[in-house]
Amino acid sequence: MSELPFGPPVRVSPLIRFGRWSFLATGILYGAFHQNRLSKRETKLREIEAKEKVVRDEKLKKEKALAAAAEIKALEEMVAPKK
Amino acid sequence: MAGAVAKIPSLISSGLTAARPKFNIFMKYARVELAPPKLSEIPQIKAGIAKLLTSAKTGAWRNQTVKQASLNVLVGAEVIFWFYVGECIGKRHIVGYNV
Repeated sequence: MSELPFGPPVRVSPLIRFGRWSFLATGILYGAFHQNRLSKRETKLREIEAKEKVVRDEKLKKEKALAAAAEIKALEEMVAPKK
Repeated sequence: MAGAVAKIPSLISSGLTAARPKFNIFMKYARVELAPPKLSEIPQIKAGIAKLLTSAKTGAWRNQTVKQASLNVLVGAEVIFWFYVGECIGKRHIVGYNV
């Protein structure tokens, strides 16, 4: 180990190295597990949202049509007011 | 502009040749310092855990200098932060969960 510029490598305590690697492994497992759980929950929510969207779109369409009709009526009255 | 673009490959290759010896030095240190614990080191790990537990029980952890204590806290924090690195790898996303 003559070409090492910072002296011989530090002997890191086995406990610290064990801690690092075991926390890394736990983190990977936890992240994968949690990701799986959350994405499942989110797909369920997406399905519900898709169902609700159809209903809401229909409602909005009706409201829009009603509003447009009322507007046209108001305009007609403005242009040719009834005497 | 075209000249600058033409220089990029040679810049990359010279950067690689400059970085290679440093990377080799890094690997030599990492082989020793970042190596996963071997099976033969399990007794040492057990002894270390027992020492931590006894110092927690007897209150010996209070009998250290501020310098020692702050170093221990930093090392402990570093060890715990590896959990979050692992979590990022496990969820395959850096910020938040990509659902």
